[in-house]
Amino acid sequence: MDKLLSVGVVVSFLLSLSALIWLILKTFSFGKPTLKSEAQGEGKKGVNYAFVQGMMPWEKESAKRHLITYFSGFLYHGGIFLAAFYIFTLVLGISLPKWILLGFQIVIPAAAAAGIGLFIKRNVVEYMRSISTPDDYAANLLVDTFLILAFVHTLNPGVRPVLLLVSIIMFLYIPLGKIRHCFFFFYSRILFGIFFGRRGVFPRKQNQKRMEA
Amino acid sequence: MKDKNEGDVYAEKIKNLHAEDFQRALSEFEKRVHFDFAAFFNTCAHCGLCADACHYYLRDKDPRNVPAHKLAMITRIYKKHLGDPLSRALGRWVGSGKLDGDTVEEWVDSLFGRCSLCGRCAINCTMGINIPYIIRAARGALAAIDLVPPGLQSTVDTAVEKGNNMGIAREDWLETLEWLEDELRQEVDDPNASLPLDRKDAKILYTINPREAMFFPMSILAAGKIFHAAGASWTFSSDYYDVTNYGLYNGDDSAAGLMSERLVKSIRELGCQTLALAECGHGYNSNRWEAPEWLSQKYGFEVKSILQIVADYIRDDVIQVDAQRNQKVMTLHDPCNLVRLGGIVEEQRYILRSAAARFVEMTPNREKNYCCGGGGGQLAMTRFAKRRIDVGKLKADQIKNTGAEIVVTPCHNCIDQLLELNKHYQLGVEIKTVCEIVADALVLDSNRNSIAEKASNGGSV
Repeated sequence: MDKLLSVGVVVSFLLSLSALIWLILKTFSFGKPTLKSEAQGEGKKGVNYAFVQGMMPWEKESAKRHLITYFSGFLYHGGIFLAAFYIFTLVLGISLPKWILLGFQIVIPAAAAAGIGLFIKRNVVEYMRSISTPDDYAANLLVDTFLILAFVHTLNPGVRPVLLLVSIIMFLYIPLGKIRHCFFFFYSRILFGIFFGRRGVFPRKQNQKRMEA
Repeated sequence: MKDKNEGDVYAEKIKNLHAEDFQRALSEFEKRVHFDFAAFFNTCAHCGLCADACHYYLRDKDPRNVPAHKLAMITRIYKKHLGDPLSRALGRWVGSGKLDGDTVEEWVDSLFGRCSLCGRCAINCTMGINIPYIIRAARGALAAIDLVPPGLQSTVDTAVEKGNNMGIAREDWLETLEWLEDELRQEVDDPNASLPLDRKDAKILYTINPREAMFFPMSILAAGKIFHAAGASWTFSSDYYDVTNYGLYNGDDSAAGLMSERLVKSIRELGCQTLALAECGHGYNSNRWEAPEWLSQKYGFEVKSILQIVADYIRDDVIQVDAQRNQKVMTLHDPCNLVRLGGIVEEQRYILRSAAARFVEMTPNREKNYCCGGGGGQLAMTRFAKRRIDVGKLKADQIKNTGAEIVVTPCHNCIDQLLELNKHYQLGVEIKTVCEIVADALVLDSNRNSIAEKASNGGSV
């Protein structure tokens, strides 16, 4: 049974990955926008900005106003990646040093708490409810369950079958709903960087340098 | 009365849509979705962090004003009609839904009436989704079924039919330039000063917002004065001189392309090297960034904002300005299309720091600045006028907080909105363009020397 579940995790992960790649490739069937206007700045610099400076809370007024949400999101996503890594170590039979495990025992429950906090916010705040679909609630609960089980497993290996089962469900669900943003995030940030980079808006230095030249 | 009738007809149109109308709207929408939009439609995680970026939401906290909400209305249609089979199969579970009368009604109210396409949400989006451009594409779908609010559509129609958005007749344009030229000669005390028209092979073709010719001729004079002081080689076109392009706002790419193509035709016929765009935010974004895409052609000539040209004149000492001549405290309003979406950020600051003694920034400023509320075609859509003035409260407060006596803005749309805000919120400020400030600070005597020098060196600017 355990072997079956372990294989299931790997297969569901590969299925998920394939579906995500297919979804990305499918976007290209819509064709490419032309870029005939002469660039004023560099798209490449814009992309760098998009992933580094542009993600800082002081760069975004909304993030600055909602620092708790911003850091919760950060922690939540970091925890998810750690928990996913943890699952693969389990499936592949890799044993982790104690200090790494201790790190997981701190970050993963904190991420789960952040996820639950975001779930509560989605339910309580009026505008959050107005932009939410059933998928938003389900995805959050599924991932929270996954995080909680991953944490519990670090203390009680007896929950392994349940953890593996939930992992399979989660991996299969990723391409179906909003969790697909885990891939599309990078795609969209690159597009953001190219758009504002070419126009010389970001990074700001491009604009300032033009006046100094 | 005319407006009311137009409004009634419009409301009737929305109520009486047929299956073929929805199909037409969808076909247009599909044409506008490229891989970037398709990626964006798959990206929004509904985190809600865009809410506080929107001046509509900040003003009244109505959930319908949250950018993610507006985006979701469009994503819904994408998922149902164009999206992947997974999204289609899961339907409402993932926020997918068909285009019907209710959706169209919502689209009209939100995409035209609750968005000025300012792009503030895009720079605040955690994912980097270009929401205003998606909204514009959806506006284009509404344009395909003739559902652009009447005021905005008639502005586009006038520009397409008459060659400029105010419907100014050619003879009136020429007459305006004639009397402005007389004024210029008096102001600079030079009988040879001119506002050149259709001058072949001039270096710069200068365009204006037709509102300048109708209501703000002094801003044309200000630009003329600067070009004169610089000894510039420049000209107006007698036929096509309209920098505005409301096709950017109604979402109709073919009308937008037609308007911009006329300027391209003018500059090629006259053999000029630089298309200089007057102080107009959306005119800059349209003609500098969007038009080459609408027309699918690389230009082969420069497209510049007048601010870039004037900043260069000051920096290169082509003109001299005396900041002491502008003693009033002034602040700067950054037009969204010029700054956040256009990349002209520091030029206007450099100019004002050179030409004004007491320049103070608003908070926030530059690409983070709030929209005044007049963009996105809002000024032309009377049905949303109350909302427009209401959301302008943020801008009014920003201005008040600076303690400025003059608000400078390089955009005539913004000027119109700021004039209304000035009255409504009793700000007691003057509203001016950047060129007007420069013209007031111009040191003409020393310039004349430099012009003479340049002429003797055979140079042209």
